[in-house]
This record gives sequence, structure tokens and C-alpha cells, in this order.
Amino acid sequence: MPNLRFPKITLWRVLVTLIFATGLYATYARFLQGFAASTNLSDGMPWGLWVGLGTLCGVGLSAGGFAVAAAAYILGFERYRPVVRAAVLISFLGYLTVVVGMLYELGLPWRVWHPIFMWNRHSVLFEVAWCVMLYTTVLTLEFSPALLEKLPWKRAREWYLRWHRAILIELVLIGVVLSSLHQSFLGGLYLITEGKLYPLWYSSYIPSLFYLSAIPAGLAVTIMALYLSARSLNARFDLSILGEISRLMAPLLAVYALFRGVDLVTHGALPYMFRWRSETGLFWLEIALFVVVPLVLLSSEQVRNNPQWLYWTCALVVMGFIANRLNVSVTGLQASAGVHYVPKWTEMASTIAILTAAVLAFRYAVLYLNIFPQPKERWMMKAATD
Amino acid sequence: MKTKAILVDITKCIGCRNCEQACKEAHGLPLENEPVLSATALTVVEQRGDKFVRRMCMHCQDPACASACPVGALKKTAAGPVAYDAGKCMGCRYCMLACPFQVPRYEWTKLAPYVKKCDMCAGRLEEGGLPACVQACPTGASLFGDRDDLLAEAQKRILENPAYVRHIYGSEEVGGTSVFFLSDVPFEKLGFVAAPTNHPLPTLTANALADVPTVVLLGSSLLFGLYWITDRRKQVALDEAKEKFFASHTDEKRS
Repeated sequence: MPNLRFPKITLWRVLVTLIFATGLYATYARFLQGFAASTNLSDGMPWGLWVGLGTLCGVGLSAGGFAVAAAAYILGFERYRPVVRAAVLISFLGYLTVVVGMLYELGLPWRVWHPIFMWNRHSVLFEVAWCVMLYTTVLTLEFSPALLEKLPWKRAREWYLRWHRAILIELVLIGVVLSSLHQSFLGGLYLITEGKLYPLWYSSYIPSLFYLSAIPAGLAVTIMALYLSARSLNARFDLSILGEISRLMAPLLAVYALFRGVDLVTHGALPYMFRWRSETGLFWLEIALFVVVPLVLLSSEQVRNNPQWLYWTCALVVMGFIANRLNVSVTGLQASAGVHYVPKWTEMASTIAILTAAVLAFRYAVLYLNIFPQPKERWMMKAATD
Repeated sequence: MKTKAILVDITKCIGCRNCEQACKEAHGLPLENEPVLSATALTVVEQRGDKFVRRMCMHCQDPACASACPVGALKKTAAGPVAYDAGKCMGCRYCMLACPFQVPRYEWTKLAPYVKKCDMCAGRLEEGGLPACVQACPTGASLFGDRDDLLAEAQKRILENPAYVRHIYGSEEVGGTSVFFLSDVPFEKLGFVAAPTNHPLPTLTANALADVPTVVLLGSSLLFGLYWITDRRKQVALDEAKEKFFASHTDEKRS
């Protein structure tokens, strides 16, 4: 009876248990003791790590789903087909973490439904709330066949899959529009902080900057997840697809770099780039991680064709992206607010626990659902074409 | 009813802090002295050198907080005050990020926390009364009245007395507020925010949001166009393949 044995203790299992235990405590602190006990938020820094990492990065790094789906279904990049489902799954889980994280952020989380009935169409956050609701619905529908194709009732299953095929293109189109809006609106939240947000990050084009940076970052996450699935979860697909996606990433990063550079120069932020301040250092860290080093690495054929190198390049892009979002949401606001904010460990613990849950969900989905093309299917396709 | 406002003449403030106490009494807050604005101190008198500066909500004409609030819990009322509807608030705290004067405070220690800020005693105004702080001021440093009248009064004082800084703080800041300050010391030395601009901050987001329908329309037509081309190409390729297939088969039959 091997199932009744105590599960083998491995380093990963210990780590995951620790993460969930601390996350559980952080959740208790947040909901039963309040903000003061569970966060270092203050009147000067009302939005901290939960917004900066949980929401801004959570949404931004989930941009891969719409980008890959658009490439495969709308632009006709047929080579992307085998990984569309994985990309959509990542975005879907990413959005779920954002929704769960939002319950931690809101002071009165039981009122999370208020924007459905209480409208203020002048508010960017109102639009963001609607984008979250609508795009999470679209992602659920886009991903649903992976779950429902496992239904034991043949007729219901086939009816659903047929219906899904009929609306798939519309879903993808709506998804692209909604998530494009959502990515931009997140930047738009900071339009109103004119005079508060440090000039290295404030820009009247910040919605476009958020949009342009989210796509390559989302693709980077997709590449990383695909590589890990192939390496540790035994997913079988042609690994050269990773190189192909990265070929898309380099020009996207270059476009962002150009846009950002022109924007910084035109709104007179150039002198701020060389002042002896902590903002300057964090700005260059962000630029180096997100733009400079990845562009140098991606220009090499050797890196693009080596999945492991590519994986680490993408990790840099993701770190640079996180640096950018934290710079906008925390670093850039500290000087004007006159506070120095360092997140409390419970803020980190809850965020990490939510992310770990998403990673585990991805793992189990790949193991138990048909996220990647199955060997059997491939054999059948071969038989059909012969 | 004309829109109301408060004028604070810093040259007349003696730092007695009666306004603070009156505010706390009027709002049922604990009476101890607090040095800075908090969830239990909606107005405070700060000492800067030998001057006393009162802090409170500026009650902007076009408030950033009201435009930012996703559920419309904050509203500029016709009477002047920027009012907060606690029943709508969901605690997102975007108002705090949006406020150029860093006024709204949050009840960080509570399990059901709300936003706290000066409401210009809207309830008392409705009954024809004065804001508690103005009523408690013994020197007339805080005045209450019609916004236009107070602006005229402030202008008169500046013209009559050259000691005043030639600026009414709040007359132009972020498009104008309903709380004005007069001073004989430059405002930036008294810790006043060098108010970002002379336009209301909500216009910054309004401009961006106004572009949304155009972007959506253009974007979706572009996407649909791209899809159409992709689909058409596929069809053509399929037809060609079919033709070739049938052509080769008929050839085989003939031979």
C-alpha cells in the first residue's frame, strides 16, 4: 500500500510547506489583526508591495497569454499552436493570483463587488476593475476546454467543445482588446500622480509604457514556464519554439527602449538620470535588467538557440520588469511622500504563498490535463495525414 | 446656494489650537493633541519657525480624489465640501495616492478601516452653521463664507498690505480649491506643496480615458483585418493544395 506511506521529505516539499505556513499566518494577520499588524503601509505610502508586486507585476507578467494567442490565431503563426494552451493557462492563473491578492489589498474586501453597481467612469481604477472582471472571464472561457474535455459525458463534452470552437476567434479578439486596455490602464493609474511620482518614472505616456513593457515580459514568463515544463514535467514539444518566441521578444524590448528613451529626453528627465540619489541607482538597475543585458544576450544566435541560456535571459527580463513596476509604485513615490517603505515580512509571505499556489496549480494542470500536445494525439494526427 | 470656502490668514494665527479641539469634538474623535494629520486629527496646526500653519483638506474645485475613486464614494458638492460616502468605499486607497496635498488618512489599525478627512462640517453647513474650526478661531485667522467673497477679501488684503506674499494659495493650485491661505512668508518655506500645476489633475486621466473608444475601435478593426488576411491566406493555400491533389489524381486515371 504505497499510497498510505508518509510522503517522502524532499527539499522542495519542505520549502513549499514553509511558504504555505508563513502565508497562512500572514493571512491570519491581515484579516484578523488588520493592516497595521500585517503591513508597513502608512498614510504616505498607501499602496505597497501587494499593489506593486501582486497587482502590477501579476497582471503585467500575465500578458503572455494574449500575445501568444494573438500570434497563433490572428497573425497565423501556426508554429505557436502547441504552446497556446500553456500560455493561456499561465495568464489565467496569473489573473487568479491578482484577484486573490486584491482581497488582501482592499480595506473592505467584502465590498469587492461595488464597482459592478457603483460607477465612476472618470476613474482609471474603475476601468481596471472592469478589465479584471471581464478578462478573467474571457481567460476562463479560453482555458475551459482543457478542463471540460475531461468530462465523462460524451454528448455534453462534444457540445461544449463545438460551441467553444465556434466562438474561439471572437474570444481571442476580445481578449486581446481587453488585456491591452488593462495593461495600459495600470499605467494610467499613475497619470494623476503628476508632481508626486519621480520624474524618471512619471510620464504622460505611462499607459503606453506599461503596455509596451508588459508584452515582452509576458513572453519571457511564458518561455520560462515552457522550459521548466519540458525539463521537469516531461512536457513534450519542440523546444525550438522557445527560440522562436524570443525572436519576437528582442524587437519588442528594443521598441520599448526607444520609446522610453525618447520619452525621458522629451519630458526633460535627462538630468535626473545622473543625480547622486538612490532613485538613480534603481532606475539604472531596472534599465540594465530589463533592456540592456537582455538585448545584448538576445542578439546572440547562441543564446536564442540554447534553452537554458534563454531561460536565464528571460529571468533577467522578468526581474527588470518587476524592478520597473516597484520603482513606479514604491521607489518613485517615496521622496514626495517623505516616507521610507520596506514591506513587512507578512506582506512578502502572503504574496509568495499566492504565487506558489499558482505555480503548483500550473504543475498539476500540466501533469493531469492535456496542456501540451499528447504523444497519442500526435500519433493519431500522423495516422490521419498518412 | 453659493459655493462656500474657508480662508486661513497665517499672519493672524496665534497657534492656540482651538480649531483642532473643536474639530475633534464636532467629529466625536479622541481629544488628545496630535502633531500631524491622522485618522483622528482632521485638522492640525503645525509650527514652522514662528508661524503656525493649519493643515486640512483643501476641498479642490475639481478634486483628484473624487475622479480617482472607482465607486464614486468621494464627491465635490455644490455647497463646497468634498464629501465622503463611507457606505460606498471599498478601501482601495486610490484617493490617497491621487491627492496632491496628501490629505486623506486611513484607519490602519481597524479591521473595517475607512478613509478620514475634513468634510468642512458639511452637516453643520446644511443647518446654516459654521465649520467647527472657524467658529472656534478667536483671532479671525480662519474665515468662512462664499468662495467669491473670500477670494475678493484675500485680494483686498494683499493689495492693502505689502507684507503679504502676493499669492493666494489655493486660488490657482490644481485648478483652484475651496480653502485659501494668505501668508507673509513664502509658502514653500511653510511646507506647502509646490502645487503641481494650474490645471485640475483629473484632466490628466480624462484625456487618456477619452482616447479609449477610438483606440478600441481602431485596435479591434486592425485585429479583425489581420485575422481576415490570415484566414484568407489559409483558405487560398488549402484550395491550391486541393486543386493540386485532384489534378494529380485525374492525371493518374488518364494514364
